[in-house]
Amino acid sequence: MLGKLALAGIKNRRRDYLVLLAGLTMSAAIFYMFANLATNKAFIKANAVASSASLIFGFGAALLILITIVYIMYANSFLLSMRQHDYGLFMMLGAKRKRIGELVFLETLILGTVATAIGIALGLLMSKFLVGFLLDSLGLHLAHLASFYVPAIIATAVLYVGLFILASLFNLIHLTRTTVLKLLHSDEQANQTQVKPFRQAVAGVLGLVLLGIGYWALAAIKVLQTAAIPLALVTITLGTYLLFRATILMFIRSLRKTAWAKKHLNSFLLGQLNFRVHNYTRMLTIVSLLFAMALGAITVGSGYHRQLPMMAGNFGAYTIAVHDKTAQEQRLIDCLDIRHQATYTQKRQGKMVYYNAAELTKHPFEQLKMTTGDNVKTSYVTESIKKFQKTGPTDMDFLGLATNSQRMLTPKIVSASQFAKQSGKTTTVTTVRVKSLQRDTPTIKKLAKLERQRFSQPAEMTIGSYQSYEMMTGFFGGLEFMGYFLGIAFLAMLASCLMFKILSGAPGDQRRYRMLYKMGVRYQLMRSGIAKEIGILFLIPGIMGIIDVLFGLQMFKPLMQSPMSPYLGIGSTFAIFLGLYAIYYLITLVLYWRIVLPKTAVK
Amino acid sequence: MTTSNAVVSVAGLEKTYGKANERQYKALKDINFQVAKGEFVGIMGASGSGKTTLLNMLSTLDTPTKGDVIVNGHDVTKMRGNQLADFRAEEVGFIFQDFNLLESLTAEENIGLPLALKGTSSRVMDQAIHEVAETLSIADLLQKYPAELSGGQKQRVAAARAIVHHPSILMGDEPTGALDSTSARELLDLLTTINQKQAMSVLLVTHDPFSASFCQRILFIKDGQIGSELRRENQDRSAFYQEILNELGTFNE
Repeated sequence: MLGKLALAGIKNRRRDYLVLLAGLTMSAAIFYMFANLATNKAFIKANAVASSASLIFGFGAALLILITIVYIMYANSFLLSMRQHDYGLFMMLGAKRKRIGELVFLETLILGTVATAIGIALGLLMSKFLVGFLLDSLGLHLAHLASFYVPAIIATAVLYVGLFILASLFNLIHLTRTTVLKLLHSDEQANQTQVKPFRQAVAGVLGLVLLGIGYWALAAIKVLQTAAIPLALVTITLGTYLLFRATILMFIRSLRKTAWAKKHLNSFLLGQLNFRVHNYTRMLTIVSLLFAMALGAITVGSGYHRQLPMMAGNFGAYTIAVHDKTAQEQRLIDCLDIRHQATYTQKRQGKMVYYNAAELTKHPFEQLKMTTGDNVKTSYVTESIKKFQKTGPTDMDFLGLATNSQRMLTPKIVSASQFAKQSGKTTTVTTVRVKSLQRDTPTIKKLAKLERQRFSQPAEMTIGSYQSYEMMTGFFGGLEFMGYFLGIAFLAMLASCLMFKILSGAPGDQRRYRMLYKMGVRYQLMRSGIAKEIGILFLIPGIMGIIDVLFGLQMFKPLMQSPMSPYLGIGSTFAIFLGLYAIYYLITLVLYWRIVLPKTAVK
Repeated sequence: MTTSNAVVSVAGLEKTYGKANERQYKALKDINFQVAKGEFVGIMGASGSGKTTLLNMLSTLDTPTKGDVIVNGHDVTKMRGNQLADFRAEEVGFIFQDFNLLESLTAEENIGLPLALKGTSSRVMDQAIHEVAETLSIADLLQKYPAELSGGQKQRVAAARAIVHHPSILMGDEPTGALDSTSARELLDLLTTINQKQAMSVLLVTHDPFSASFCQRILFIKDGQIGSELRRENQDRSAFYQEILNELGTFNE
């Protein structure tokens, strides 16, 4: 009988359950996708960037588990808030606590298992299609990426089902310790919090100090080395929490005293926030940190992606070298936005290649000069032929101009008369340096392809910065991909956390909006009131998260060489991220409207 | 039969629940009555008699199947959407059995809400709140939250919220239902005072004869129809109370 009642309860609230199930499924799917990438040994081996890659994967995995725990906590409290009243009713009707306990346990566990199962299936599909799509759009080709990987399935299943067992136990304890009456009226209580100005002020100052320490630690990662990250994590978390506690309540209270608060539903909005924000402080802290991590991951990932062509200038003296250019190649070269171009005649004999000194005097070979130290500056210089005679033949870029299938030929610069007499195969080589590799990539790609078709050469013998860039793209591929991937996963989970936390307050709000409706508040006003309230709850961690990221990016400064900077072009990354965040806000808002706004006729 | 001084005028009101192809239930059948300006009218009936349905029709929370409801010159059956909300906000003051105070707001903010909805300036609002708080002797409770108030105090705050914007009619749905006898008597005395001093029309829905004895006129409703009517005329309250008890004794047979 009780089982029937429980089923009926779920049926009546199937829409709420669907939301919950969808969120959990998504989370499980993302976790699977991630676990697959993080644990798939064949994939990691094939794409191992450096020893740092495994560190990043490990760090990502740990963070993801952490977020998952938080996420399930909030999803669970949403579930509990939905069912509390029903359980109270069952107990009132005489159901034994033990039976109810079993019911709660089973219900949570079944929901979790179903969500995990669907999630893994969805994760398999996502790994197959989404990951491929993401890699394609990044221009990466990662080897040995299988969507089906048994250890990852096991890891996902064990983690999720394990967490749900914990959640069920928590529900069990919570329900059996609460009295029937409390359960029945659980949605009617509102706790008002006392504000103690002195304590608040101390907490606020302490929060600021801790935040300061955290941000300093991130900036000083060179000095502190690996100690910087845990130090920053602890201080920023605590600092954000204290600052929220201290300032938000005070701010709302002072707003309530203004004339603005007495217009339309503003007093109601502030009242709602006032007694909500206190509960939400811990939550908002976590969310703002997750927000920062997600945004940071995406920013760094896309930073590498976008700035690699910029770095490419450091890879060589010319972008590409074309031998015996054909008419087709010439047409392609004409399309380029060229900064420097020179053509040299070579005579190749055996292991030697001869150059005409007169030609080199007329069109000196450009060399790449880099300053050493923190702030690397690059410049392109030319030298007098006399000087070049000494250094030129050992310059890697110069050497690269003449290779056969096994090795680089030894260059020798001879006078014009000697060059004329020199026997050997005559070829010409044209070096091209473009203004922006980024802009001309498609054309250069075609050129490089043609060149490779005509003169096959080993991959590690690069000719020009374009080919080095191609290699580096693969090199940074894993890192970059991780950035996007982690960022999206974090965002999905953090926004879902926030969504569930807010939605779990919805049943209580139902009554309040019913009252407002009876008092004659227009629908439009209630709608916009809810939009503002939820908007503020989304905005607070958003702003805090952005500040965290702006400071947090300091950490990556030592990793990115000087023309690159973690702060370059973050605007568009932020915009995409905020767009995704806004979508979550809209979903939450629409769901909230549906749950909370009264239907027109009284039941 | 509409007289010019009627605040509420109900003619041929019917309410049927259930769709045409389902089992239908007639909650109200051909209800006709008027409430004059400044009158204190009670509607009595047992549970399920249709009295709350009637109140919901009058206050536009529900729509009638047939008939007319005119409140202060507005035909509420012809209103839609925002008009309905605005009508409730301006013409009707509500007191409910379960107070319906917003627990996230202080008493003062709760009382000020109807004015805030109208966009009243904060200066005028403060004045109005303090006036009504004075009348209902709750001036010292204004800064408290509902959770810190007793039932009687809560209902007085609710009453203040109901009348602060000077609606044309005050409707009470079992307002004493959740109060102890002392608080109930205090509230009913207050409603009488408001009715007399501010000449505000009051419509009280109740099943409690004691509450009803404060009214000037009582309509008895049974199975969705008005069965009989009692007028207090010049009797004192306890005599009227006896009359109500007698009427109930025969009415419910």
